[in-house]
Amino acid sequence: MSNSVISVISRFLEEYSSSTPNKLKVVDAYLLYILLTGALQFLYCLLVGTFPFNSFLSGFISCVGSFILAVCLRIQINPQNKGEFLSISPERAFADFLFAHTVLHLVVMNFIG
Amino acid sequence: LTPAHHLSLPDVARLQSLLSQQFTDLESAYYSVLGLTKLGAAVSDHKQVCRFIKSQLDPTSIDSVFFAAEASQAISGCEIPVSNETRDILLAAVSEDSTMTQIHRAVSALSSLGLPVASQEVVGALTARINKEDNVMAITSALQTAARLSKQAELGGILEEIEDLTARLDDLGGIYLQFEEGLEATAMFVTAAYSLSDHVDMEPPLKEDQVIQLVNSIFSKKSWDSLAEAFSVASAAAALSNNRFHVPVFVSAQGPATVSHSQPTLQLLVTDVMSQPLASANVLVESAYAVASKSIILNQAPFTLNDGVFELNFMSKQPASGYYQFTIAVTGDSRLVANHVELKVKVSTEVAVANMDLSVVDKDQSIGTKTTRVDYPSKAKSSFTADSHQNFAMSFQLVDVNTGVELTPHQTFVRLHNQKTGQEVVFVAEPDSKNLYKFELDTAERKSEFDSISGTYSLYLIVGDATLENPILWNVADVVLKFVDEEAPATIQAKTLYVPKPEIQHLFREPEKKPPTVVSNTFTALVMSPFLLLLILWFKLGANISNFSFSPSTILFHVGHAAMLGLMYVYWTHLNMFQTLKYLAIIGGVTFLAGNRMLAQKAVKRYVS
Repeated sequence: MSNSVISVISRFLEEYSSSTPNKLKVVDAYLLYILLTGALQFLYCLLVGTFPFNSFLSGFISCVGSFILAVCLRIQINPQNKGEFLSISPERAFADFLFAHTVLHLVVMNFIG
Repeated sequence: LTPAHHLSLPDVARLQSLLSQQFTDLESAYYSVLGLTKLGAAVSDHKQVCRFIKSQLDPTSIDSVFFAAEASQAISGCEIPVSNETRDILLAAVSEDSTMTQIHRAVSALSSLGLPVASQEVVGALTARINKEDNVMAITSALQTAARLSKQAELGGILEEIEDLTARLDDLGGIYLQFEEGLEATAMFVTAAYSLSDHVDMEPPLKEDQVIQLVNSIFSKKSWDSLAEAFSVASAAAALSNNRFHVPVFVSAQGPATVSHSQPTLQLLVTDVMSQPLASANVLVESAYAVASKSIILNQAPFTLNDGVFELNFMSKQPASGYYQFTIAVTGDSRLVANHVELKVKVSTEVAVANMDLSVVDKDQSIGTKTTRVDYPSKAKSSFTADSHQNFAMSFQLVDVNTGVELTPHQTFVRLHNQKTGQEVVFVAEPDSKNLYKFELDTAERKSEFDSISGTYSLYLIVGDATLENPILWNVADVVLKFVDEEAPATIQAKTLYVPKPEIQHLFREPEKKPPTVVSNTFTALVMSPFLLLLILWFKLGANISNFSFSPSTILFHVGHAAMLGLMYVYWTHLNMFQTLKYLAIIGGVTFLAGNRMLAQKAVKRYVS
């Protein structure tokens, strides 16, 4: 049982490193970073308490929001999905990504206290 | 509705003393002299006043001539010399180009100085001015002016202004009627309205209730701010006590409205608004009924006038003690207003305690009772003892000394006072159906009231009522009470109602418990660490900025973007949302345009390659 899991995982990693274009890997690294940051914030909250609750929420929402926006960006610039996003060029996707981030950061900064 | 306020004799005296103050100029001389004359008071030293007026007179000023003329008219033997110039100035003021005040003062001065006035011309000027100056004081001046004109002139139009002004009065709670311009305006209006109405002999369109409400408004203020205000009140008082149509009557009892055997007559003062007695009036009680039983005791009983006071011997009807509602009518003059008055009269009497019997009754009634009679005001010779098997009983009657009728006063209390501890317990004695008062003290039942403290208690009987002239506090006897389960006598705490209470310490909101700084710093570093990981990963993936083109739009975009991130930081530390949005709009706009250009360039490059 565990054998098959390990083999599935190693197969997946192999496929990933070979067939994913570099651009997407860059975005994936960014996604991993966001994920870790959010997880660490949540860990702090669990361990130490929610004292400045608004700050915790603000930081956590920032991570979640950034993660979502990065995922959207990744989907939109993936060449394999080109058929679904005919009207959205990668540059346009990036511009949307930046604009959405501006709004997100405005809200986060407002709430951070 | 009856007047709630009037000028009592002290009020009139105060008004007179205010008006008698030393005057410094013609205007104050005018107010003083005329005000005192209207109150019927004497002006001191006419010669000196006349000299003063003559010395202060400025024959070229309409106001000056007006004050001098009116004041000199009021004191005897003072004639103001008038030159032709002065007369011409006064006559020239009668035109629709002068203010209402000027017309009023000029016409009054001409009239007082005995000079001819062209009444119809004045009427024309007044009518024209009323249209231009629509305020209360101006129209009141017009009314006053019209009262000085010949009766042959067409004063009807100006007379109608009284009704218009009446409509402008503000009704306050149905009790006061006054102009929003204040007391002086209201008082001068009343003076002017009656002055003109008397002059043309036509009743002013003021209803009885309105007259009373005006009286309330004018005479409710008992100290006056200025000489002009005092003068207006004095004028109104004179107008309301002596005009041809409405004379408000003020009826009040002299002293408290109480009669008793020692004071059998009810005395009433019937005066006008200035506290001058209406000697020619007839006062009678239309009806009087007892408040408790509603039975009528008087019907159409007249008062007799005795030395300025109206008297009625009420006790001759032998009323029972209590309250009576009188309806009093003042007749004899068709001008009287508010001449039906309701008055509550109290008949008081003296009470006596009769047949006071004290006894100690055994609960199972096996031993016969021993009754001791005590006579007021002496005290029972021996004390009574009651323990838990016995009841202490008391019975008595309260009778009216004069009529022998049994009374049931409001307050009949039995007070037991412990001489040693100072404790007192009060009970109510209740009358039975035959008006015999009974009080029973069940020692066992009542021990909680006494805190089970045995001992000698002084027994007092307290009788009181509003209609009793001799309330009773009588130490009847001493009672020794023996309680079972005697607790240690607790020290009697005087009721601490009025001592300072214990101070409440305000608990400020505790700031939340913060985790130690070490923990926070550790986690801050921890949360920053994935960024390092990201940089490492990117480096490993070979992400680079080798494709960076140094075109202006690119540089501008990056600078703008960096500025936006910087703005976020500044927003966190210094700014509020509105300021941030403002800056964001500017920087964002620039960044957007530059970024658009940059990305377009990139797209072109991508298509080409």
